[in-house]
Formats: sequence, C-alpha cells, structure tokens
Amino acid sequence: MSPLITLGPVELAVATLLVVAAGLISIALRLGIGRRLAVAALRTVVQLGLLGLILEQVFALREPIVVAGVLLVMSVFAAREATARTSTGYRGMMVDAWLAMAASCFAVGAVVTQAVVGVDPWYEPRYVIPLVGMILGNSLTGIALGLDRFLDHLANRHAEVELRLAYGASRSEALAAPLRDAVRTGMLPIVNAMAAAGIVSLPGMMTGQILAGSPPLQAVAYQIVVMFMIAAAVSGGAMLVVLLAGRRFMGADAVLRLDRLRSS
Amino acid sequence: MAPFLTAGPYSARDGEGRVLFDGLGIALEEGSLSVLDGPSGSGKSTLLRQLVGLVPTPAADRTLAGEGFGPRELPRWRSRVVLMAQDAPMLAGTVGDNLRFPFTHRGAPAGRPDERRLGELLAATGLGAIPESRAVATLSGGERHRLALARGLLWDPPVLVADEPLSGLDEDAARTCFDLLLGFARRPGHAALVVLHDRSRAHLADHRLALRRGGGGEA
Repeated sequence: MSPLITLGPVELAVATLLVVAAGLISIALRLGIGRRLAVAALRTVVQLGLLGLILEQVFALREPIVVAGVLLVMSVFAAREATARTSTGYRGMMVDAWLAMAASCFAVGAVVTQAVVGVDPWYEPRYVIPLVGMILGNSLTGIALGLDRFLDHLANRHAEVELRLAYGASRSEALAAPLRDAVRTGMLPIVNAMAAAGIVSLPGMMTGQILAGSPPLQAVAYQIVVMFMIAAAVSGGAMLVVLLAGRRFMGADAVLRLDRLRSS
Repeated sequence: MAPFLTAGPYSARDGEGRVLFDGLGIALEEGSLSVLDGPSGSGKSTLLRQLVGLVPTPAADRTLAGEGFGPRELPRWRSRVVLMAQDAPMLAGTVGDNLRFPFTHRGAPAGRPDERRLGELLAATGLGAIPESRAVATLSGGERHRLALARGLLWDPPVLVADEPLSGLDEDAARTCFDLLLGFARRPGHAALVVLHDRSRAHLADHRLALRRGGGGEA
C-alpha cells in the first residue's frame, strides 16, 4: 500500500482557492450570497479546527468519562438541531427529542461498538466517537422529519383522529395512523440511501476510508454496518419521539389536546 | 323512571370569554329522539363534544342505563355515546374502510359488522349504487353525510349524538335520513340527541332542548 498523503498548510491554501472561486462566481452573477458563503467557509474552518483539536486531546486522554461527556454534549446539540426547524412545536419538545435520540443512538451504538466491531477498550474514542456521531447525525434527520410530520398530522388531520376517538378508539388506536405516517416519513431518507448505495453515490464513510488507505472490501464491510445501524437508530428514534410526543397530546382519557400545539 | 343517559354539569365560554352555558346537565329518555335547538354561536357543537368527552370536562359525571363512566373509561363511553360530528368527517381511504373501522378497535363487541345489515343501510341511505372500494375523497358533501349516518347506524351504539346530520341533503334524502334516525332512537335501549340545521323537522322529535344565547339553557 502506498503511504498516506497528508495535507499540510500549502494543500489547504490551494483548497481555499476553490472556495474563493465559488465566491467570485457569486459576485459575478450578483447572487448576493458572497457574504454568507464567506461566513460559512470561515465557520467550517473554525468548527472543524476546534473539533480536530478536541478530538486530538480526547484520543490522547482515552478516559471513559471524557468520551461519555463528549457523546452527551453531541446528543444535546443533535436534539436542539432536530427541534429547531419544525413548523409547530410544544412544551417539552426538545426533552422528548433528546430522550428518543439518546435511547436509540446509545443502544444502537453500544451494539455496534461492542458486539459488531468489538472495540477494545470499550470506550476507545477513535471508534466510539465517529461511529456514535454518525448515528446521531442521521437519527437527527429521522427524528426531525418524524416529529414534524406527526405534529403536521395532528394539526391538519385532527378530524380523523377525533373520528376514531368518537367510535371508542383507545389512545394507541387513535394515534396509530399519525405514528405510522411519521415513522415512515422519518425512515425514507435512510431507505433511499440504502437502495442507492454504491450505484448512485459512494457513501461518505466509505469514501473516507478508501482515501485513508483501507482495502475497498474492508471499507464496504464498515459501510454496510453503518447503513444498518443508521436504519435501526432512525426507526427507533422516530418511533420513540412520536410515542413521547403522543403522550403530551393525549392522556389516559384519550382526549386530543390540540391546544398544546403552538406555532414556533 | 330514571333517565337512560345523564351527563354533566357542562360549562363553556365563547372566544371573547362570555358564558355560553354554565352548570348544564343533560338527560335523555330511553327510546326517544331529542332535538337540541339554539341560535348559531350558542355552543351546540361545543356541548355535543363535551357530552361525548372529546374535550376535557373534569367536572362532569356520566351514566348510561345506570352504569357510571369515570374519566379513564372515556373510550368505552364514546363507543356507546357516539358523536356524528359536523361536516361528516371521514378517514382517508375507501367507503368500506370508513364503514368498518370502528369494528377493528379493541373495545368493539363482535369484531366485524353484519354484512347483510351493511348492505341494507347503504341501500336505505341511498348509497346502494356506490361500491365499497370507492375513495371517500370522491364523494359529494351529501353522500358523505349519508355515509356518516350509515356508519353510525351500522355501529348501532346505545346513543347517537348527531351534529347537523342532514346538511347538504335534498328534501327527500333529508326526510329518509331523519326517519332512519327516528327509527334508531325509538327502540328500547337506544336514544338520540340531534342538532338540526333546518328546524322544519324538529316538531317530529320526542323532546326539544333549547340553548339560549348568553342565558345558559335547559336540557
């Protein structure tokens, strides 16, 4: 295998020319996004730079409590992102999103790192942080889509939910249709990604591993694990968040409390 | 004789906070059809929704044929005191889905509807020519109201509570459907409470209850 090509300041400077080219296009066409592009590019450098510095430290420390802390912080930010752009909301939405995210991602992450990959020691940050990070990032999408769809269903199709209630439906029977609708919506991106994997796109992680010098088949094996763990985390997270949200809108008396929905 | 159904007390205010009714109780007699009257905005739909327990009514007690229903038994209460809501809401799906879904609920008695009865009801409500596979989204407003009535009668609960069940129907269809409701209500072990848009038929009811604007009401 040829040695890894490392990137230094010169290489990064050349890459910077690319984003400057994008900026010139924006100016030439008067797209008016030159400023936003510059800020975004700067954020990329600063955020990833900080992440790199933190990861260097965490990888060097190899302390389980530090790894757990990083994962916790990541999950809180993921929950915030998942609830930031829903069209409607309710009190406690972020708490529900975090609970669903943490439960599904940490459960799936535990299975993958401990049983599938067999990380040793169990908290080895080089494996645990990127793998769990990938699960969090994808389940964020699933939870956000599922939650948005669920709230949308309650807001726009409440007559159907109340029709079921009017004929004696229990809470779970009345919420079954919105729940199915929401989980299906949350799972669509990962189902599409799995169906298109390798034909339409080379998945990101596989690309990264091949660039880092892994044999393609080994990269493929990891990518399959990643796809399956994302599918599990997304479906679990979307289902959990909708179940939690459902409890906020309907108690044991099965009265639909649409007054708890607020636009955000 | 004790009433067949008793429920209340119910209270409601309008959007501006004015009292629509306060401490209102409802009693229905077995084997009778009652019409609930009142000007628009007097809270008729609100009262019906409170009666079947689709909105929070923490102060209310409910009895049906001597049996009490607490807050946790609301789903069972609703399966017996069924609301046919305004505008005849339907599940997205087919005519058949909409007639049969109540029988799929865990609390349903038999598990499946009586097929012969289903055919009879579709014919009686003038929907005999419409196949069960037709999507409800393609039905006219009048057809939806007739389907909602057929669904209510097929389910055959002890009490039907209907909010403007005849709207959108021509005179002939309205008469037929009102007669079906009367026939339903005037049997032992049954009763109905109906809000009518067109009050010309109200004199045919066994009892008339009135809500007065701003002055509460009696029932």
